[in-house]
Amino acid sequence: MNSSEQDEQLEPSDAEYVVSSRNGCPDHFRLLVQRYQRPLFAYLSSRLRDPLEAEEAAQESFVRAFMGLKKLRKPESFYAWLIGIAGRVLKEQFRSQERRQRESAIAETLSAEIPSSAPEYPLEEAIAVLPESYRQVILLRYYEGLSCQEAATRLGMPLGTVTKTLSRAYALLRQELKAREGAEAIDK
Amino acid sequence: MNATNMNCAECRDNLVACLEELLDSDQARQCRAHLESCAACRAEYEAISRLHERLAARGRVAAEISLVEPVMRAVHQQRSKPERTTFMSTLFKNRWGFGLGAAAAATAVMLMVALLAPNAQAKAFEVLAKGAQAVAHLTSVHLRGQLRTLPRDNFSNIDANSDFCTIELWKQFQPDLKWRVEKPGRVAVMDGQQTVLYFKQPANEAFKLNEPTSAAFDTDWLHQIANLSSTISNELRHAQAQGWKLDLAEATGADGRTKSIVTVHAKCGLPDDDYTRNKFIGDADTRRVYRFDAQSERLEVVQIYLVHPTNEVQIFELSQIEYDQPIDPSVWQLNLPADVAWGQAPQKLPDNEKYANMTAEEAARAFFEACATNDWDEVGKFTSPVTGQVKDYMGGLQIVSLGKAFTSKSYGGQYVPYEIKLRPQEVNVRVSNNNPAKRYVITGICDSQGKLLQDLTWTNAPVLLPDNDAYAKLSPAEAVQAYCAAQAKMDWAEMKKFAPAYDVDNDKRQVEEANRAGIDPRSLMPVIEVGEASWSADQSAFLVKCRISETKKWNLALRNDNPAGRWQVDGGW
Repeated sequence: MNSSEQDEQLEPSDAEYVVSSRNGCPDHFRLLVQRYQRPLFAYLSSRLRDPLEAEEAAQESFVRAFMGLKKLRKPESFYAWLIGIAGRVLKEQFRSQERRQRESAIAETLSAEIPSSAPEYPLEEAIAVLPESYRQVILLRYYEGLSCQEAATRLGMPLGTVTKTLSRAYALLRQELKAREGAEAIDK
Repeated sequence: MNATNMNCAECRDNLVACLEELLDSDQARQCRAHLESCAACRAEYEAISRLHERLAARGRVAAEISLVEPVMRAVHQQRSKPERTTFMSTLFKNRWGFGLGAAAAATAVMLMVALLAPNAQAKAFEVLAKGAQAVAHLTSVHLRGQLRTLPRDNFSNIDANSDFCTIELWKQFQPDLKWRVEKPGRVAVMDGQQTVLYFKQPANEAFKLNEPTSAAFDTDWLHQIANLSSTISNELRHAQAQGWKLDLAEATGADGRTKSIVTVHAKCGLPDDDYTRNKFIGDADTRRVYRFDAQSERLEVVQIYLVHPTNEVQIFELSQIEYDQPIDPSVWQLNLPADVAWGQAPQKLPDNEKYANMTAEEAARAFFEACATNDWDEVGKFTSPVTGQVKDYMGGLQIVSLGKAFTSKSYGGQYVPYEIKLRPQEVNVRVSNNNPAKRYVITGICDSQGKLLQDLTWTNAPVLLPDNDAYAKLSPAEAVQAYCAAQAKMDWAEMKKFAPAYDVDNDKRQVEEANRAGIDPRSLMPVIEVGEASWSADQSAFLVKCRISETKKWNLALRNDNPAGRWQVDGGW
């Protein structure tokens, strides 16, 4: 199956939501938040220890994304762009954490506080490089917690297509992770 | 596929289905059998399983999160905010929380009787909530306070080195919402239909939003004092998430009644070197002291202190609160001069793309180049309105250098460092020796035609100096030369022999501000060539011709979050 065949069966694409959001239907942005809130939060909480801070950073990232929607040149790359925004929000959080630590003279070092040097590459960044059709299946299966059958029903596609899409998505993810983390971390 | 022969290709096709337990029992058995006998397929299965587990774990982390409603609330809030047109307008984004209370140190009339129970934080919130409830059904409120701010700058601008300026808010809640906020250099009025911001003379510029607003043009923080209920949840959230501290105390007021005092120690969260830090009330670490009457539960006093690592400076004092008093309808009227210049929101241009594709640095360059060539149509693409004052000041400038754009965490645009040389200007310095010391001192600045631009009134007449004779012998032109020489050396005491102290102190403050901003103040000092003096019968004083060349080095604030997507000069010039 090629991706264009899949696209016909999938839910509205990110690009459609982006375009309608910026063309006067801001409530369509709600659907993008719905779609990406969990991977974004998971991404941020892998970098920030405090879930409250991760939640705040996720909100901030979405709001900035909304405010900057007009500047998004490739609407189909919404998620990768959102992850980039979240990366900048993270940097700012780290700086302010660092400052707070200095102020309160907490003995903990920054490296202990922020697992920024963790060897594991955030999966959510790898997911950003997947073609949208593969990404949607991964998000539904793991971040929405649907079974394969439920995902098939949601996407209006046969169960076999879902498992094949997952299989291909795994291959692409492993390839991406291998490049980022090295072969050992992922396959050995 | 037969009962025994699942080959590698078939096995690989079914790995995901096997992992997900979607195969029927026979297929599953065949698949497992193949995996037991084939190391390569087994390794593949294990790699997929690990990834599956890793993904499932990530999903579990985020299973409970629900951001849709808070994000959409914030999005709608952002959309309903009017476009900011003022200098370095800030996006508050929930950073301004309010607590109530008053510190004993700040209220000498009060006797502290209790302090900080272990659950003071919770009790402080309770006082706050009651305070909000007590004013929940007001028909109107009038706040009058003193803020250390530059008189013409934003309503939220603070400057610990400035004198206090009066700032006022009139707000009508019933029957329909109206408000007015005013400080010496600007006023904003929402009359129920539209919202207008006016920069008073000499700027004489106005901006209009064709809709009612609940707050606009950086007046949010004052509105929040008038409308406490809207801030409680933010306060709570900050206290929990960012460790803001709240203290609660009780005291007896001068009226003999019990007062509840809440102090909020608010952290702005900006990096120490952030450009807007301590320039705006929401961009500073502050201690906010709120005093409520325990019986009426109404807010009586608000004091705000700018907190530095080693000291505090009081920047705000709410001196008067009137609840439910009739407000004169004229408060909602703004009688603008006929020649007021109206600012326009940027519209899409036929060649909009050209501008929308610019970087902030390119936009800054294009703006300055248009000023340099007096191309005011082009200048109008970057700022509005383009008034005569703008043309006089910026026309014919020379660009010395432009730096790399930088950002602030709290500003939605970018800053571009620049250095420009302004076109030399001819002015006349008015001097007079009609004073008890009989020496020539500066009493005003006139344009090249002799029209008075600035009156420098001596509130205390020039005094006799120990060496007064030497100064009394100076001619009008020599006196101006001596003043310019002292200015070049930043010899404030010497300058005060020729110009009123308040004017010299103002120069001094600007130099200190430049120093704090890391800018060499000497680069800001105008170079003045002093020419001939002539007697003006009209003004009963000598006018000394001067030619002023000024270099300006600062940071141009630009933002492009407008419907046309073009960079607009927002301040810093």
